[in-house]
Amino acid sequence: MTMAPERTPFIRSDGKEKVTGAGRYTADLNLTGQLHAKFRYADHPHARILSIDTAAARALPGVFAVLTWEDVPDVLYGGSVNDRRLFAKEKVRWEGDIVAAVAARTADLAAEAAGLIDVRYEVLPPLTDFAANAEADAQLVHEAWADYEADENLGLSGNILGHSSIVKGDADAAMAGADVVVKSRYVADASQGAPIEPRAIVADWQGDKVTVWSSTQVPFAARSGIAHTLNIPESQVRIIVPLLGGGFGSKCDFHFEAHVAALARATRRPVKLVFSRREEFLAPDHRREGMIIELETGASRDGRLVARRGRLILDKGAYCGEGGFFAQMAAMHACGPYQIDAVNVDSYLNYSNQQPSGSIRAPTAPQACWALEQHMDELAAALEMDPAELRRRTLIGEGDEGPAGQVFEEIGAKQTLEAALDMIGYGRELPEDEAIGVACGWWPSFGVPSGAYVKLNRDGTGTIVTGAMESGTGAVMGLPLLAAEALGMKAEDFSILYQDTDAGPWDMGSSGSQTTFNNGRAVVEAATEVREKLLDLAADDLEVSRDDLVLADGTLSVKGSPDSSVTIATLAGSGEPILGKGSGDVPEAPAVDASGCVGRLGLESFLAPQLITQAARVKLDRDTGVIRVLEVAAAHDSGVIVNRIGADGQVYGGVLMGIGQALSEATWFDDEGRQLNPGLLDYKLQTASDAPEINIRWVEIDTPNAGPNGGKGVGEPPSVPTPGAIGNAIAKLVGRPIDRLPMTPERVWEAIHGGPEE
Amino acid sequence: MTGYIRANTVEEAVAALAAGARPIAGGTDLVVGARQGKQSLPDALVGIHRIPGLGAITETDAGIDLGTLVSHAAIVSHPAIRERYTALADASVLVGSHATRAQGTLGGNVMHASPAMDTGAPLLCLGGTATFATPSGDRTTDLVDLWTGPGETTAGPDELLVAVHLPASAQATGSAYVRLQYRRHMEIAVVGAAAAVILDGGAVTRAAIAITALAPVIRRVESAEQALTGTSGGAPAVEAAAQAAADAARPIDDVRASATYRRAMAAVVTRRAVQAAIARARGEEIPIPATESTQGSWR
Ligand SMILES: Cc1cc2nc3c(=O)[nH]c(=O)nc-3n(C[C@H](O)[C@H](O)[C@H](O)COP(=O)(O)OP(=O)(O)OC[C@H]3O[C@@H](n4cnc5c(N)ncnc54)[C@H](O)[C@@H]3O)c2cc1C
Repeated sequence: MTMAPERTPFIRSDGKEKVTGAGRYTADLNLTGQLHAKFRYADHPHARILSIDTAAARALPGVFAVLTWEDVPDVLYGGSVNDRRLFAKEKVRWEGDIVAAVAARTADLAAEAAGLIDVRYEVLPPLTDFAANAEADAQLVHEAWADYEADENLGLSGNILGHSSIVKGDADAAMAGADVVVKSRYVADASQGAPIEPRAIVADWQGDKVTVWSSTQVPFAARSGIAHTLNIPESQVRIIVPLLGGGFGSKCDFHFEAHVAALARATRRPVKLVFSRREEFLAPDHRREGMIIELETGASRDGRLVARRGRLILDKGAYCGEGGFFAQMAAMHACGPYQIDAVNVDSYLNYSNQQPSGSIRAPTAPQACWALEQHMDELAAALEMDPAELRRRTLIGEGDEGPAGQVFEEIGAKQTLEAALDMIGYGRELPEDEAIGVACGWWPSFGVPSGAYVKLNRDGTGTIVTGAMESGTGAVMGLPLLAAEALGMKAEDFSILYQDTDAGPWDMGSSGSQTTFNNGRAVVEAATEVREKLLDLAADDLEVSRDDLVLADGTLSVKGSPDSSVTIATLAGSGEPILGKGSGDVPEAPAVDASGCVGRLGLESFLAPQLITQAARVKLDRDTGVIRVLEVAAAHDSGVIVNRIGADGQVYGGVLMGIGQALSEATWFDDEGRQLNPGLLDYKLQTASDAPEINIRWVEIDTPNAGPNGGKGVGEPPSVPTPGAIGNAIAKLVGRPIDRLPMTPERVWEAIHGGPEE
Repeated sequence: MTGYIRANTVEEAVAALAAGARPIAGGTDLVVGARQGKQSLPDALVGIHRIPGLGAITETDAGIDLGTLVSHAAIVSHPAIRERYTALADASVLVGSHATRAQGTLGGNVMHASPAMDTGAPLLCLGGTATFATPSGDRTTDLVDLWTGPGETTAGPDELLVAVHLPASAQATGSAYVRLQYRRHMEIAVVGAAAAVILDGGAVTRAAIAITALAPVIRRVESAEQALTGTSGGAPAVEAAAQAAADAARPIDDVRASATYRRAMAAVVTRRAVQAAIARARGEEIPIPATESTQGSWR
């Protein structure tokens, strides 16, 4: 058991440039002779392409290249299913499918040329009902699905991209024997990551090597994507990410880098692409998935959960991308961090002619958790038990067995519940039209390989060279704290060389809340190697045994005789290279007994689970249905916290994003699958003035299997239970749960005034 | 002409308009709209934002003159407006964010002629008139006669709005503007309503009620006004006025709300605006913005 060192709050080094506007983002970059790119998107969400005539576009003065599928290798790509081409060939499958790309002298010219491309279609019926798409006689989004290269654990079949089930014991029998059974059905609409920075890409070829500056969360995946689709070796591709203006998952995955690289190669000029806000909504193959969630729970009178049945249907949209694991992840969230005797949950991920869904902060979790937590409150009501008490009796603890047979080690689920209740003053008198709701959730840590170098500079400072990606969470900015701890230096003594695939080792990128968890371990290991070298050098220099040396405050000194010492700067200044490298051992996922499960993608158990309870106090305007969130208490077990300021910041942002998902954020589609509100006027993010008081408590348990010095992750969990907590508070005020997410004023008003139940 | 020029005087601006240019003040509608692809920027623009004098707020015996360049921020912080033309302050304080209120002008709001514009209903209830500089001299019109449809006005392309005038308010006047909003800032009115009332000896002697985002133009609702006039302003009269406003609404169905919800909310915001206006006329403190201070259930 490692003990948490005393840690002082650390202010990240990239903050000032970002706040003052001095920071450089991809769109700020301009290269001599550069051209501007625009895409021609599908004119129909579902149509067969009959012909593409680019002659008029090519003839426009100032246009340098017009590319279609004919101009790039005929390669399919994707995440768990290779179901997509850079340019649509036979069919367009959603409104953001790219048919052609143009490079021209100005962005306006490029847009004009894109409009001149004559595309002839045979319009097909849009397959927008993702639940109905699974029916046997449904038309197919991908006629050639059986020929696709796909992860065989997915269970790809027709319009069902993935099927996952979790089976523990005999849920049917247990349900039949339960004292109380509650059934619910919830529907969550799609939503977006909505980063401040619309994406931008600049590509430039020198010889047969291409450098691509891109606002991506996953530079190494972008590199692989370019290499794969343009049929060139990865070593000829270098990705650099200038400062990233947020992503929230939407900039995970390989997106548009190859289109721009192909244009740059065709024109032999640097080419730049900058998205408009509208494109940022319409074109990325990334949004939070819509979901239908049916839950049934049987309990004994004393609140024991004896059975859970569930059926989930998720809208995958037109293509797979990196979201192949969603069915399984959603199934785990339909179980939640509870001790349940018997489980039978089926989860389906279906294709449709809508924007593809992809990882958005804790994919599948906020919606599934919102449904489950309201369902738990319904169960509590049926048991005539306080909802907090029901959770107290059923949350997982050490020795309990998870839905797939995982046996939990020490975790802080119950402590987070008590902490949140305490912070919000659960049970106190409230003014009329106010109520408190409580929700619990969980999120896994992902153990993946990751690497870093640490080197000392001649002036005694250090540089961390890492493949990790800073998406704004501060995870990379916090790495110096870990290196400094290992080396008796100050965090401020470290610079970071990052977001350049030619510099740092391979990394999964900023996804899965795993940067601290994995890259943190790598940095600690690299710094430890440096420490070993320093001890060797100092032992030589001072002519003492290594064991007699103390390393602190930038100095190695002999125990008991502090005058006999040498500084790190002196050793580093000698010219002797002092470097370390690290990757750290990847922790293994806990053992499971998931014999009854299908669709096993490695997420049927949760490694070093992070536990959360949030309580929300809300106020309802009965006449309008408008909800105001007044206070949120957030209690988190994210292991031992590396940097309190940074971790708190993730909770503030996550809770606000959670409030948006609860109340106002939704991407709505028309009958053909076109987005109805692709802009910030009608896609309603919460603003700073809507932010409630947010109180935070960290339950710092030294979790087995955790990351560096007992740390887990914290990027995604904060928005997981927020909609559920708000939903439970609203249900108390309205008298029944709102079964649609987001719980918009109109939906709340309808529930109060007995309007039609959707 | 094409391109952009900056006018130093009203005459220069009017000349530019006559030559085909469109005026631009704060640009928060024109430029932001163009960026969003609603309609591209006009080929010729004349910047009017530096013309001296057009940003003044002047009180006279006859009332108050608001230059076209008066910003929403200036309206919100003006003591006389807060006190006697309170509905206008209720509206301007809701416009966009701090940045929008500092940059956006009253004249731009009026001339953009959006059916969801926030200052429209207050200006109508407060009896506003607009003065235009034209090639043939100044012209004044009631605001009621200005708006004809979304983005459409009776002003000619060569007419420059120079000021909005609000007549002096009688004693015991109260006014308020309330909009339905889903979040606290950066909103657009889903529905809105303004009311201005004059009380005499406890009775409502004059009532003006206008609705926002409930018809192609912002409009007064006579039936609602009649329901209130001559009454003591008690609950039944207020409710009748609110219902009349809802009945007069021609709400649409879109991504922001269904027509059913909009109509129901028309009654709610009208009721709140009328209640706040009456309370203010009685000298009670209803803090600006009324949208926030009337939140909650009505009993
Ligand atoms: C983020 C954001 C939030 C907003 N929120 C709100 C809101 O909550 N409520 C609301 O009502 N509005 C809102 N708006 C719209 C806008 O800010 C206001 O309408 C503002 O008052 C417009 O003023 P402006 O000076 O910027 O207009 P401009 O864009 O400069 O002009 C608008 C129109 O008026 C014309 N015009 C301007 N001055 C004159 C003149 N003197 N004579 C003749 N024509 C003229 C222009 O040619 C143009 O057609 C918002 C805008 C943004 C960008």
